[in-house]
Amino acid sequence: MIHSAWLIPVLPLLSFLIVILFLRNKPKLGSLVANCFSLITFILATLVLVGRLQGDSLLREWNWLEVGSTTITLGFEINALNSLMLFIVSFVSFLVNVYSLEYMEGDDRKSIFFAYLGLFTFAMLALVISPNLLQTYIFWELVGLGSFLLIGFYFYKDSARAAAKKAFIMTRIGDVGLLIGILLLFTQVGSFEYDEIFAAVRNGELIGSVITASAILIFIGAVGKSGQFPLHTWLPDAMEGPTPVSALIHAATMVAAGVYLVAATYPLFEVSQIALTTVAVVGCFTAIFAASIGLFQKDIKRVLAYSTVSQLGFMMLALGTSGYVAGVFHLTTHAFFKALLFLAAGSVIHAVHTQDIEEMGGLNKRMKITSLVFLIGTLAISGFPLFSGFFSKEEILISAWTSGNEIMFFIALFTAFLTSLYMFRVYFLVFTGETSEASSHAKESGSAILVPMLILAVFAVFSGFINTHWFGTYLSDFLLEDAQITVKETHAPTWILYAATIVSLAGIFTSYLLFGKNKTKFGESSFSKSPVYSIVYNKYYIDEIYDAIVVKPTRLFAAGLKFIEWFCVGGIMKTISGCIQFVGWIGSRLQSGKIQTYGTIAVFIFALFILVYGVTNGGLLK
Amino acid sequence: MTHSFILLALILTPLLGVIALQFIPKDNYTLGKNVGVLFSGIPFLFSIYIIFDYFQDGGLTGYSITKKWITFGNLSESPGHTQTLYKVGFDLGLNGFSLLLVFLTALLCMLSAYASIKQVNYAWRLYFSLFLILETAMLGVFSAQDIFLFFLFFEVTLITMFILVGKWGYEERAKAAYRFLVYNALGSLIMFSVFVYIFVNTGTSNIGTLTELIALNGRLAPEGMGFSDETRSVLFLLLLLAFAVKFPIVPFHTWLINVHAQALPAIVMLHAGILIKMGAYGLIIFGLGFFPDQAQNYSFLIAILGLVNLIYGAMLAMIEDEIKKVLAYSTVSHMGIVLLGIAALNEFGIQGAMFQVISHGLIAAIMFYLVGKLYERSETTVLRQLGGVAKDMPILSGFLLAGGMASLGLPGMSGFISEAMAFVGLFEKEPVITVIAVLGIIIAAVYVLRAVLAITFGKGDIMKERKWKDLSFTEALPAIILLSAILFIGILPNVFAETLRPAIELILKGIGG
Repeated sequence: MIHSAWLIPVLPLLSFLIVILFLRNKPKLGSLVANCFSLITFILATLVLVGRLQGDSLLREWNWLEVGSTTITLGFEINALNSLMLFIVSFVSFLVNVYSLEYMEGDDRKSIFFAYLGLFTFAMLALVISPNLLQTYIFWELVGLGSFLLIGFYFYKDSARAAAKKAFIMTRIGDVGLLIGILLLFTQVGSFEYDEIFAAVRNGELIGSVITASAILIFIGAVGKSGQFPLHTWLPDAMEGPTPVSALIHAATMVAAGVYLVAATYPLFEVSQIALTTVAVVGCFTAIFAASIGLFQKDIKRVLAYSTVSQLGFMMLALGTSGYVAGVFHLTTHAFFKALLFLAAGSVIHAVHTQDIEEMGGLNKRMKITSLVFLIGTLAISGFPLFSGFFSKEEILISAWTSGNEIMFFIALFTAFLTSLYMFRVYFLVFTGETSEASSHAKESGSAILVPMLILAVFAVFSGFINTHWFGTYLSDFLLEDAQITVKETHAPTWILYAATIVSLAGIFTSYLLFGKNKTKFGESSFSKSPVYSIVYNKYYIDEIYDAIVVKPTRLFAAGLKFIEWFCVGGIMKTISGCIQFVGWIGSRLQSGKIQTYGTIAVFIFALFILVYGVTNGGLLK
Repeated sequence: MTHSFILLALILTPLLGVIALQFIPKDNYTLGKNVGVLFSGIPFLFSIYIIFDYFQDGGLTGYSITKKWITFGNLSESPGHTQTLYKVGFDLGLNGFSLLLVFLTALLCMLSAYASIKQVNYAWRLYFSLFLILETAMLGVFSAQDIFLFFLFFEVTLITMFILVGKWGYEERAKAAYRFLVYNALGSLIMFSVFVYIFVNTGTSNIGTLTELIALNGRLAPEGMGFSDETRSVLFLLLLLAFAVKFPIVPFHTWLINVHAQALPAIVMLHAGILIKMGAYGLIIFGLGFFPDQAQNYSFLIAILGLVNLIYGAMLAMIEDEIKKVLAYSTVSHMGIVLLGIAALNEFGIQGAMFQVISHGLIAAIMFYLVGKLYERSETTVLRQLGGVAKDMPILSGFLLAGGMASLGLPGMSGFISEAMAFVGLFEKEPVITVIAVLGIIIAAVYVLRAVLAITFGKGDIMKERKWKDLSFTEALPAIILLSAILFIGILPNVFAETLRPAIELILKGIGG
């Protein structure tokens, strides 16, 4: 089975092509076809994961482009890390496909939506099985295309247009870093292949500064895709896309690609303490920074978006503190519970037609199942004991502590508190208390929406058990089997477990006091007048700062060039044409001012030149 | 087996169309345009034949034609010359690079002629006659194996293009045509001077012979033979200047902006797609071919020029508020990549430059084809006045978006291959310039998305008055063909890379790599 793993990305591509070419105007059939392909893809990916669990890694490559003596290959690779990713991506993708059957009902561009989902899934799966950096970059950009198309799906909305554009450009800033990193590595190693690059690192063929530089450049790419500070601003805006898209792309898969990339190129990071520290610091800062913004947002999807940014920061922190397994583990559990939270939020939005959590309330009476699964997701992300997030977050905290950086550890611990605080804020405001006006007509969604959520809920609860110190570190054993990294044996103090549990419960309790019991609404309270609130609510004015220090100066520079174009270049132009006109005026008898004569003259002069020089045997020019 | 007549037929059949057009009554436009489009398409069939033949037995020498054309001299034996006869040959032939350019020319001419049908409202006979002469001349430029024959064809493109721009198009077309002529004629003058100088001092005008004589013998020959280093530097710089106009290299680009904005979109397809490529072709074949050492010496200058083109064009494309001007500056920016690739002077760089020449030809053609189709409906190309086109015209918008993605170098499409190769090639030589150039792809994303989304996305107030018809299948066909070609190169680049390899090896042999 594992040998036909290349089929996994090909199937969604076929789905995209078939639907966009032939079923554009047949929403029913189009969505069904897409779902079938999605299901088969998921089954194949599961079989490949099972195959990898029992067997070995695999690498197959074909020549793609020959330049001089260099041969660039394309191919696929199945190893522990990416077989897991294949499963996660195809699984969430399939559930989102099913969910969208009902969620996108009535949209006359439903087929297009499913086609784009196929395109995205294709790129994401192909990215994951890429065995070399160039191929990774190719699909890295193509997932960006899928994301762009889906964010801008409601193209007639100006906000969607702006968000799609922003997402593409902000991530491309990161991509440029990645591309330069690839160029640097290629110049040094002479190959794009992961294996050869890692071998060069192992054998000491690369000097330290090159490794550090290329690792940091690759990380810049990850920062863009994974919405890390300072390139995070596109991700909350990306919520303009339909909610299933937010669940798939902007929670579970594409935004995790940055984390995946760092994990996949981990042998580079590992040998450079500077690179590791950079990753850890950026991740740690992003985690608390985004969590603080998430606390004050009113739009349910934006809270979740900032939460995603924050959780991705956690994963980066783990990778940056040598917690390779912890990072990938959290990536896995987060994919399940965050996709669940988004889908549940979508179910709510579908029912109440608003995204403002302060307008909602009391939905647990009208939407029992949605309410339940949202609670499960919230418990999981808050690290409530025995839920999946509990185990993976604990691993991250252990990793931060054992790396010796106590400041980052305590920041992470405080962020864990904030996480349960802001997530339960959403839960309490939306689902508990009295039924608000917006919620009064809400109805529970249908089964196509509920079933995927229930399946994800099961994973959100239990997926943590794949890696525990009580039952067995299956994930860890699996990943480290063929990851080309060195593992440090660490002994974590047990108090970290208690600390994590306490902050999680403290956050929930605080949240209950503030939002469960008292229904504090920031928008209505006097707190909303304070400068702290407005700074945080306005996302620390990062967008405005970028506008002032990047966008406006660039425009000004361009306007300056335009000025040069008009006055200097245009001036030269006028001078030249003025001279020509003058000559033309002198020779106007000869040329009679008509342009057609020009040709005749050109040929004439041409013949004359040859004749003269021929006869004089070139003597004139000697 | 020799098929030399095929190349000749490929070049000359459009001229038969010119004759045929003269016999069609003036009021029978339907027949006239059909004849025009038909004859413009025949070279395409020939070019396909040559390509298939090439892939079967791999040779292009069978297509060469060598005919004595003008000979004179032999008046005296002069020292320093091995040849006493001055020969100007009617020499035609192909290499991998020119084959692809001939193919591109034939393809774009066919599509452009097809696109012209709705855009030419008067003097159709003159239009199609000039169009077909232009086609012959362009095909001639890429297959000429003699510098004077090259020059002759080059001049014919200039004159026909001048009238095509000046007579049909938008309001300020006459001014644009005049500027086009002034700049290009000056470029031609410089080129012609260089050619004459070379001819007089070597006695031959055959490109292949000259490449051997100047490039290889220049280094290998004993003292006193061939040109001195100073002379070759001057000649190289003059050639660079001559082709800088056509290229266009900033600051010689303003004529291009005017032509893009004022000529008929169908003509701009040819202009951006092929005509300016003659600058890149000339620089590679003559500049690198004849003067490899000088190209080496001035590679830093070329890299800087390329960088300026790339950034300057992208910056101005970012603030223009008219789609045709955005695309014009985008052309300037894209040609910067060609210069960067040339500056690298290694396999990756040269191959990247050649790919970019082909790739940009396709991308510019699809974009201007679509802009033409859009203008037929909207009667405006100002970005502010457009918007929401995707609502009524999802197919046109889809193609526009795809073309835009190709333009910003999305992987899977041709532009990515050329950009990536040029960057890889240049990085080992000029890492700093490469890094700045790579940053340029961010600006490319900004200006492409700004322009394309301004047209396709949004509320679409402009569309409220009447419903716009989306592209019909026949209207979409040229876009389908062009997009397929763009994707083909992007997905299977090796097919073209193999075709280009011998030509690249020949150039690098001169460089002594």
